[in-house]
Amino acid sequence: MPEPVVEDKRISLKEVTKKIPNGAHIAWGGFGYQRPPEAFAMELIRQKKRGLRIYTCGSEHDLDILVGAEVCLEFEVAFFAIEALGLAPNLRRRTKEGKVRFEDYSNLSMALRFLGGALNVPFMPIRHLLGSDMLTKARLRKDKAKVIDCPFTGKPIALLPSVQADFGVICAQRVDPEGNTQIFGIKGEDNEIARCAKTTIVFAEEIISNEEIRRNPDLTMIPGLYVDYVVEVPFGSWPMQVYGYYDYDLPHLQMYVQQCRTEEGWQEYLEDWILGVGSHEGLLKKIGEKRLKALRADKVRGY
Amino acid sequence: MTEYTSTEMMAVCGSRAVRDGERVFAGTGLPVLGALLAKVTHAPNAVIIYEGGNVDCQNTDLALSVADSRLCYKAAASIGLIETLGFLMMGGRVDLGFLGAAQIDEYGNINTSYIGEFESPTVRLPGSGGGNDIASSAGRIVLMFTHAARKFVKKLDYLTSPGHLQGPGSREKLGLIGGGPSLVVTDKCQMDFDEKTKRIRLKSVHPGVTVEWVKENVMFNLIIPDKVPTTPEPTAQELEKLRSLDPQGIYLGKGQR
Repeated sequence: MPEPVVEDKRISLKEVTKKIPNGAHIAWGGFGYQRPPEAFAMELIRQKKRGLRIYTCGSEHDLDILVGAEVCLEFEVAFFAIEALGLAPNLRRRTKEGKVRFEDYSNLSMALRFLGGALNVPFMPIRHLLGSDMLTKARLRKDKAKVIDCPFTGKPIALLPSVQADFGVICAQRVDPEGNTQIFGIKGEDNEIARCAKTTIVFAEEIISNEEIRRNPDLTMIPGLYVDYVVEVPFGSWPMQVYGYYDYDLPHLQMYVQQCRTEEGWQEYLEDWILGVGSHEGLLKKIGEKRLKALRADKVRGY
Repeated sequence: MTEYTSTEMMAVCGSRAVRDGERVFAGTGLPVLGALLAKVTHAPNAVIIYEGGNVDCQNTDLALSVADSRLCYKAAASIGLIETLGFLMMGGRVDLGFLGAAQIDEYGNINTSYIGEFESPTVRLPGSGGGNDIASSAGRIVLMFTHAARKFVKKLDYLTSPGHLQGPGSREKLGLIGGGPSLVVTDKCQMDFDEKTKRIRLKSVHPGVTVEWVKENVMFNLIIPDKVPTTPEPTAQELEKLRSLDPQGIYLGKGQR
């Protein structure tokens, strides 16, 4: 058999971010503190993108810096805060200023909307949201959700519009140049996000060989055929965590929540940690090898 | 007698609501601690599930997030949201869910989304997260939050997650399979729900709190039985285990002695 060609989809963080036009709709991976696309969020800010709309279950510091920099002010989302530490400070201020617009769903609703998009069906049924204001109060969509009598049982059921976003963005532990992706630990809604978008980007802590992927195909969560771009970004979810690789930077998060309560504090953070460092490499240099080493995960515990 | 804080009292009440062998959904904040305490005291066989995807957790370190890597260590499975909130929760396989609230009304309906008018809110709260999913389908719900009059309102600013909606029969009419809220734990008291009317009722007051105080700090007509017992204090064993679970005081740091 002749050797098949291994397609190389690798690209840099800077270049892949240039491909995102203003106004793009992005399905946003990661869940809570786990594997959020932080380095990508920071690069979107450096490249001064505007008018994005983000679809996600729940995200935290990553979304809050995008709101602070006014890169993204429209969200179809279930959860937005910084768990255990409080409300997201930039979101709080920008909401008061009347700048942020939400379409509220539950976590399962968003995950099912991505699944519907991945299956290429127009809607998904759900037995949740019934009786809540999430069904009736809408801002961004005319077709936020509908309730019908089930054609089979006659009982009420809610229908949610599927999501097929312009871009799907996830962070993973390991990927090969073709986009075959291994995710360890929880997957959140990332498996569905990677399959529902028109263009899918995988950021990974490590690039491994196609050979290695094929040694353990059962570890592949996302086959490369769904993936358009592969970006190697070590510490790409800092200051949050990646299971098996590094822990969250708690003092940094506590400082963030405290400092960004005021616009001045946020502007200072933006300059110090995002713009001033110039690039992801610059950021890692600023954090320093010693600190990064301390955050590295214990291989047994995974954090 | 051992001293304890009001936050510790809440965590212990939450823990006591867990029965051994139950499948429990724990959310961010104090419930994480309550579920963990139950597991190391009276409910070793409780199966704790976090919506991010970790199933049957036996974590030894405290988690900050429902997606925390700490929950993965020694868990039976690490899957995803459609597994936890879909197959398990909407599938009707969960006994108990913990939730927080910024506002609740007399039927235990919950707001975790907005304070103020929907058109121009003054505060955007975290939102539903998995809250609506849990409130819709879990066998029963335990609500935990610190007590303030402004949280117990006649009319919610926004209904994020269903309690007993408009009263008896309204959940059934919509086809919600979960049993709805059964217990409210604050730092001042515990409340349950009247079987017949599905309205919230005072169950017990924590030591040092009067029925009168609770009455004044609820902005609707709370059902108050003739006799309101005092909540049993945390035992020395419960406190010792609880403190060892949160040595840095991440959750327990707040609260008055």
